Amino acid sequence: MKKTPKLTIVLILIVGFLTVSPVIMLIFGSFSEGLSAFGSFTLEKYISAYTDPAFSKIIINTIIFVVGAALVATVLALFLAYLNNRTDIPCKFLFKIISITPMMIPHILFSVSWVLLLNPSNGILNLILKQLFSLESSPLNIYSLWGMMLVEGLLDMPIAYLIIAPAMASFDVNLEESSRVFGANSGQTLFRITLPVLKPAILASFILCIVRCMASFAVPSVIGMPGRIYVLSTHIYRTISIGFAVDYGKAAAIGMSVLVISVTLIYIYRYMTSASEKYVTISSRGYRPTVIELKKAKIPLFVILGILMFVLIVLPVLVLIYTSLTPYAMVPSSRAFSMMNLNHWSDVISDPISLLSLKNSLFLGIFGATLGVVLSIFVAYTIVKIRTKASGLLESLSFLSFSFPGIVIGVGFMWFFVRTPIYATIWALLIGYIATYLPYGIRPLSSAFVQIHKHLEESSMVCGAKPLTTMWRIIVPLLIPGIVSSWVLMSTMFLRELTLSVVLSRPGTEVLAVQILRFANDGLWGRLSALGIIMIVLSTTLVALVNFIGARFTNK
Amino acid sequence: MEIQIKDVSKHYYSEGKTIKALDNVSLTIPGKKIFTLLGPSGCGKTTLLRCIVGLEIPDAGEIIIDDEVVWSSKKGINVPVEKRGLAMVFQTYAIWPHMDVFNNVAYPLQIQKLPREEIRKRVEKTLKFVKLEGFEHRPATNISGGQQQRVALARALIAEPKVILFDEPLSNLDAKLREETRKDLRIFLSELKITAVYVTHDQIEALALSDIIAVMHSGKIIEIGSPRKIYFDASHRFVADFIGRANLIKAVVKSQQDDRTVVDTQMGSFICQKRDFPEGSEVVLCIRPEFIYLKEDKKEIVGQNILKGTIETLVFIGEAYEGEIKVGDEILMVKIKPETLLKKGDVVEFNVSPEHCLLVSV
Repeated sequence: MKKTPKLTIVLILIVGFLTVSPVIMLIFGSFSEGLSAFGSFTLEKYISAYTDPAFSKIIINTIIFVVGAALVATVLALFLAYLNNRTDIPCKFLFKIISITPMMIPHILFSVSWVLLLNPSNGILNLILKQLFSLESSPLNIYSLWGMMLVEGLLDMPIAYLIIAPAMASFDVNLEESSRVFGANSGQTLFRITLPVLKPAILASFILCIVRCMASFAVPSVIGMPGRIYVLSTHIYRTISIGFAVDYGKAAAIGMSVLVISVTLIYIYRYMTSASEKYVTISSRGYRPTVIELKKAKIPLFVILGILMFVLIVLPVLVLIYTSLTPYAMVPSSRAFSMMNLNHWSDVISDPISLLSLKNSLFLGIFGATLGVVLSIFVAYTIVKIRTKASGLLESLSFLSFSFPGIVIGVGFMWFFVRTPIYATIWALLIGYIATYLPYGIRPLSSAFVQIHKHLEESSMVCGAKPLTTMWRIIVPLLIPGIVSSWVLMSTMFLRELTLSVVLSRPGTEVLAVQILRFANDGLWGRLSALGIIMIVLSTTLVALVNFIGARFTNK
Repeated sequence: MEIQIKDVSKHYYSEGKTIKALDNVSLTIPGKKIFTLLGPSGCGKTTLLRCIVGLEIPDAGEIIIDDEVVWSSKKGINVPVEKRGLAMVFQTYAIWPHMDVFNNVAYPLQIQKLPREEIRKRVEKTLKFVKLEGFEHRPATNISGGQQQRVALARALIAEPKVILFDEPLSNLDAKLREETRKDLRIFLSELKITAVYVTHDQIEALALSDIIAVMHSGKIIEIGSPRKIYFDASHRFVADFIGRANLIKAVVKSQQDDRTVVDTQMGSFICQKRDFPEGSEVVLCIRPEFIYLKEDKKEIVGQNILKGTIETLVFIGEAYEGEIKVGDEILMVKIKPETLLKKGDVVEFNVSPEHCLLVSV
C-alpha cells in the first residue's frame, strides 16, 4: 500500500506556496520602499514604524486588551466547563450551543450589537438607563479598553471552552477522590489538585486566546477606533487604508513583530496541548465522573448561565433585528414599535454594492470552501496515513497559518498579488482565504482519517475487495462526517471573513463583512443590521445543515 | 491447503537501525490444522502473518499457498492481498462501524457479486454457526466485545476461504470472556476442518487451541511441535522458559546412561531425560514448579532425585500454594496443592521424576 511520495511533494509545494509565500513577501516588503519599489533594500520602514511616538501607547493598549480579553475568555470558559462536566446543573444542552455560537454570529456583528447597546451617544441600554435614573449623560461607554476587553473576551470564550472542556471531561476523578481520602475538603482539592492538573489545558487556552485577540480586527475596529483606542491590528489597518500616504512597507514592518509573536505563542500552545494530553490519565473501564450536587447554589448559577447565553446569542440577534426595523436609535417602546418599517431592508436589497458583496461572499463560501476541502482531504490523508518525514513537514506547513494574524498575512499577500494579474480579483481573496483557514479544514478531516483504523481497510482487502472498492465502500462512508464538518467550518469562516478581506478587498470584490464595516464607519446602523441578519441566517442555515447531516450519519 | 514459507526475510528501518522482523524463516504449515505462531511481542509473528496474507511485502524468499506461489522475490511474483482468497480476523476485529452486522458479514460475498438471496441465506447460516442469530440488523458498533469478535469470525468464515488467519483475536477481551471465546473458537475450528494460522503471545491460549505450535524469537522460528511436546520436551532454553514457569539450574553433564542423562548441580546430581550432550559439557536443567513433589506428613517418599530443603516463602493463590524452597544456595519455585499443612520454615523432602528433568543447552 505504498503511495508514491509524488503526492506528498505536490502538496508540500501547494501548501508551502500558500503559507510561506505571504511570509516571505512580508519580509521582503518590510525592507522595501513601497509596493512599486519592491526589492530595493531599506531599513527606513522599520525605523519609522518603531520610532513613531504613538507606537508605545499602541503597544500598551494592545497588551492590556489582549491579556484582559484572554483572561475574561479563559475564566468564563473554565467556569462553564466546570459547571457542565462536574456539577448537576440543569439544561446541559446549553453548553453544546456555546461551543457552536462563534460559527453562527460573526464577530463584527457581535461587536456592532454591543455598540448599538452601549455607545455613549444613543446606545439603547444607555438611553434606557438615562430614562430610568434621569441622568444627564450616558453612564456607560463601550468605546473604551474595558468595552473592547469584555466583548473580545465573550467572543473568544467558546474557543477557550473547546480546549478546557474536553480536558475537564477526561479528568480522572480518582485523583480528586484520593485527595479527599487524604483529608482535603472540596475547595482544597479544587485548588491543590484539579486546577494544577488542568493547568496545561488552561494555559493553552489562555495562549490561544492571546493569539486570537492579537489577530482580532472586528472589535478593535468597531469598538476601539471610534474611541481612538488603537491596537496593533488597527494600527496596521490605519497605515494602509487611511489618508493619502498609505504605506505597505511600514505596515509590513509592524506586521513582522505581530507575526513573530503569534508564531512563537502558537508553538508554546502546541507544546502545552501535548503536555495536557499527557496529563489525561483516564482509564476507559467503567469511568463515570462523580457529579457535585450544587444544592442551594443551583438556581443562582443557572441564572448566571442563562444570562450568559442570553448575552452571547439572543441579545445580539435581537438588537440587530430591532435596529434593522426602527428608523433611528430609540428606546424600545410602543412608539418605537409603531414606527417600525422595512425601509432599511429595501435599502440594502436595492444597494448594488451590498448585493455584490453578498454574491462575492456566497461564491467564496461555497466554491472557495469546496476547493479548500478538496485540498484538505489530500493534506489530511498524507499527514495521517502516509507517515514519512515529508508528511511531517507538510503538517508543520499546513498548521503554520493557524498562527497567522489575518491582517498581517493580508499585507503579505498584498505584496505578492500586486505583482500578479489576480490582484483586485475575487481569486486573490479565494487564495488568501484558503491559505489562512486551511487548518480549520484539515483538522476535522485528519481526525476522521485517524478514526479509520488501518485494519478496517486491510480487512476489506483480505475479503477480496479491490482498492477502489475499498475506497468506495469503506473509506468514503467513514469519511463523510469529516468532509461535511470541514466544509461547513471553512464555509462559515469564508462567509464572515473580515481581517484578511479589509486588506485584499478592492472595489468590485467587496465581501459581506467589509460592507458591514463600511456601514459601521458611515453610521448606517439600520442597513448594517439588515445585511447582518442576512449573514447570520446564511451561516446558521449552514450550521443547521451540518448538524442534520451529521446526525443522519451517526444514527446509521 | 498447505502453506510453505521459504527463506522469508523482512527488515524494518527505524531511527537509522535495521530491525530483523523475519530472519530467513522457513516453515511448512500443514493443512486442516490449527497452527499457532507463539512468541513475545516484537518476535516477528505478526509480520509473518501479514506477509502470508499479503498486507506486508517481505524482502526476500517465497510464499506458497496450496501449491500457488503468492509471493516470490526471485520470480517477481506478488499476488495482491485481495486475490489470495484468504480470510483474517484482526486484533481490533476491524468491524466497519458504518455497517450493520449483516453487511459486515455479507461483505466478502457482496464483493464476489453473489445473488442477494444466496448471500442472505449464507449470512443467516454463518451467524447461526457463531451463535449470533437475530443480530443481522444491529449496528455493528452497538454490540459487546465478544459479539464483535464473533462477527469478525463470521465474516472470515462466510466465504469458505482456504485459510483463516488470526492476529491475536482474543487479546482485547477480558479474562473471563477470553476463556469462553477460546473454547468456542476451538469448537468452531475443529468442526470446520479448516487451515488456521493463529498468532498469539499468550502461552495458555496457544496450548489450549493449537494442533501445532511454532515458538518464535527475534525473527526466527525456535521450535515447532505439538502443545505437549513444547510443554514437556522443549529442546531450547528460551522455549522452556517462555512456556509456563520453570526453574533453570546450571548443570554439568556427569554421565550418559542407556535412557537417562545424569548431571551435577549445586544441589547434587540429577537423573534426567536422555539428551545427547557430551560428558562434561555445561547445560541448563529445567524443572517446572508443578512437577516438584513435596513429602507431606509421614508418607514415605519414593523415586529418584530425592532432595531436602527449607520452605522460604509460601503464598496462597487459591488453586494452589506458590512457594520457594532453598536448597543450599539455590532457590526452587514449587507449586503445592492448596490443602497442604506445610508452612514457612519447614524442612521438607521432595523429589522430581527424571521424566520432568529437562536438559536444554545454555
